[in-house]
Amino acid sequence: MNKITEIADESGDKYKYGFVTDIEADTIPKGLNADIIRLISAKKGEPEWLLEWRLKAFEFWQGMTEPTWAKLVYDKIDYQDLYYYSAPKQKVAPKSLDEVDKSLLETYDKLGIPLKEQEILAGVVAVDAVFDSVSVATTYRAKLAEKGIIFCSISEAVKEHPDLVRRYLGSVVPYTDNFFACLNSAVFTDGSFVYIPKGIRCPMELSTYFRINAKNTGQFERTLIIADDESYVSYLEGCTAPQRDENQLHAAIVEIVVLKDAEVKYSTVQNWYPGDKDGNGGVYNFVTKRAACRGDNSKISWTQVETGSAVTWKYPSCVLQGNNSVGEFYSVAITNNHQQADTGTKMIHIGRNTSSKIISKGISAGFSNQTYRGLVRVSPGAQNARNYSQCDSLLIGRTCGSHTVPYIENRNKTAKIEHEATTSKISDEQLFYCQQRGIGEEEAVSLIVNGFCKEVMQHLPMEFAIEAAKLINISLEGSVG
Amino acid sequence: MTGLLQHISLPGDEIPWLHEIRTNGKNVFASVGIPTAKNEAWKYTRLRELNADDFVISLPQQNLSAPQAELPFDAYKIYFENGIFNPAMSELPQGIEILPLIEVIMFHPQYRQLINTQLIEKRFPFSALNVAYLNEGIFIHIDSRVEIKKPLALIYHTDTRGQNLLCNIHNLIVVEEASSAKIVEFHYYNGEVKSRYLANIVNEIYIRRNAKLCHYKIQNEAFKAHHLALNYVDVAENGSYNSFCLQKGADVSRNETRVLLKEPKASAEVNGAYIMNGWATIDTTTDIEHLSSCTTSHQLIKGVVGGDAKGVFQGKIHIAPEAIQTEGTQLHKALLLTDTAEVDVKPELEIFADDVKCSHGAASGELDEEQLFYMRSRGISEEDARQLLIAAYLDDAISKIEDEKIAAWIKLWAK
Repeated sequence: MNKITEIADESGDKYKYGFVTDIEADTIPKGLNADIIRLISAKKGEPEWLLEWRLKAFEFWQGMTEPTWAKLVYDKIDYQDLYYYSAPKQKVAPKSLDEVDKSLLETYDKLGIPLKEQEILAGVVAVDAVFDSVSVATTYRAKLAEKGIIFCSISEAVKEHPDLVRRYLGSVVPYTDNFFACLNSAVFTDGSFVYIPKGIRCPMELSTYFRINAKNTGQFERTLIIADDESYVSYLEGCTAPQRDENQLHAAIVEIVVLKDAEVKYSTVQNWYPGDKDGNGGVYNFVTKRAACRGDNSKISWTQVETGSAVTWKYPSCVLQGNNSVGEFYSVAITNNHQQADTGTKMIHIGRNTSSKIISKGISAGFSNQTYRGLVRVSPGAQNARNYSQCDSLLIGRTCGSHTVPYIENRNKTAKIEHEATTSKISDEQLFYCQQRGIGEEEAVSLIVNGFCKEVMQHLPMEFAIEAAKLINISLEGSVG
Repeated sequence: MTGLLQHISLPGDEIPWLHEIRTNGKNVFASVGIPTAKNEAWKYTRLRELNADDFVISLPQQNLSAPQAELPFDAYKIYFENGIFNPAMSELPQGIEILPLIEVIMFHPQYRQLINTQLIEKRFPFSALNVAYLNEGIFIHIDSRVEIKKPLALIYHTDTRGQNLLCNIHNLIVVEEASSAKIVEFHYYNGEVKSRYLANIVNEIYIRRNAKLCHYKIQNEAFKAHHLALNYVDVAENGSYNSFCLQKGADVSRNETRVLLKEPKASAEVNGAYIMNGWATIDTTTDIEHLSSCTTSHQLIKGVVGGDAKGVFQGKIHIAPEAIQTEGTQLHKALLLTDTAEVDVKPELEIFADDVKCSHGAASGELDEEQLFYMRSRGISEEDARQLLIAAYLDDAISKIEDEKIAAWIKLWAK
């Protein structure tokens, strides 16, 4: 065992993360019921209150029906045919990186996640890596702890900082929120926890790396970020999964609480396995992400590059409660082959003088379908709210689809809301111009697409931006001509 | 059965075809019921009042003695009173076939085929209800190569004297090849202000090759009334549909326009304005389907919302895979006058072809304080300044109307 085997690249796809790590895993029986939840909770040594909360969520979930409003077509998910817990087997919890299973470290190396502290890119990124269901290692903890920053897995946080977790868990995304969030609340296995204390500017970028490895396993991670007064943190999230013929389920929650004068920047590069070019396999990605700007002058900024997953259902939202709070959403979504994405954002203006900005760029190619679905809501008390939304779509080829469904609800006359959307294709003139100058067709398309996305890409941290630009090119390969 | 679905015998029940579609309509409406906020297409428009069980399906024919509506332009006038076509009062043009719909269904089977059974669908609960009572309404047939300069004015006068009336009107309008016509719809009440009624109107419009139809409408129903209209427009090659709807009255009003641009070079312009106060909800819903190449559509809707009112705009542009080189634009703008006014907007693009130009825009805000100040500093009273700004705000939508006299008439009502 303990060696990384690479799956033969039979489909000719360019998904370089499609390997499986052969690792002994501790998996509980298939299926979902109250006993499974008790088992998960027991395995994680959780306190009674959390188990009760999980069970309440599970009970509520049983009365819910899977939403069908999104423009997505996928095979019905059999929730009883999944493993809800899979952990790399280890006798005792690792105390330091040296104790972590070597093959795991190799996997992360392969993914380009330098888990070992000394290898970390110039020491600017701290990583929490989640493998299937559990958080494997969190780097740089000691250094962060000096400043009072807590960055650990959520299961550790439950044990070590129960007050914080209890106070904020489910306060932004309650378990009653939606079908997938409710399921996650019942069965979530791990995720990251971040607390930035008052007045602290987090000196490095924090990062989580998610990977689904085991077969038939649902990954349900839960991230909770709390930025106390006057603090700042930039958080990165990346995801990959092995190539498999069947669909894997991923239903995550990210909750962010931003207090007075604080700022959180959350960047995602989502590159789950998108399925092969005939639409077999791939990850079903149902994610609930929400940030509550509770304090005055607080700010949240979501940046996402979505290139992976067979099905994406994701609406990072901003609840602008504090006066003068700011919400931003920058998104690039690329779908190719048979991928489907229904993604967008929600901006809920509650406080006075709140402002929000939405820049969404969608690129569809192949047989893919993509929908921007967004909500801008201005409550009666949100004096002088300001929103600007721009949703641009680019279609490559005649078999793909691009859709825009914004909802705008204004209940305050002082609010100024503007929304614009356009749809177009890469014009022949643009292509001709490039080709005339000796740039090949595929290269020209990538150049134009990168230009199209630039407004969003510049909001990504540097290392991420380079990776994301590469990803865009890979995702669109073979879509021209 | 709800108050809206009742057993009454209607003319033509013995015709199997008619009986079947009426029954279908009834069944579809019974299964969907009155849409609630959970129904995506009716998310923002609440219809609680329609749960009343005192609906009357038809009032005995009576000549409403109210003064006839004055139109400041010359037109052929076609009167409906409490939802019933009154040919005696109407002034029908020569050379155009205008018949009660029921007559067409009974005696002209070649035209009755046009009645679209797709409207009896869960998506359109009120047109299903309309078909359940399919009887009232007229058939207008404009022969090929005819240009009718004088507008046809359909004047709907309702005064239910306090009764809760359900009027179902179903019009079938066919403009044959290379013809053109103008149709004006005027819905008003005169008399009992508190008249409660539901005017449930379906217009099915067929525009053949190279034909053109202009369709202008003013809705000024009684303030307790419901007005739900569906315009189903089918446009053939190089045909054009040009419409404008001013919605002003009623407690709940919805003007839904569904245009199918079925053949190359078909075009549509769907414009509108709404202005309201009080507790009203006014809903403008459009669905423009580009089904063929080189089709174009333009939409401009502007609204002014005051009081505790709610303006709703749901607009959709659909572009089918084969509809290349199409152009679709859509713009909705609303002005909120009070702290309790609300506007809910859902502009939607659904695009399956790459060689297209499509855009939509939506904006909302309040009257510009600086503009107000500018006028006030020149001695214009605040009220007048507001009126001027509102009129100017709506003007760019109203000025899309090609007929100057009709534009002037609508402008007069948009206050």
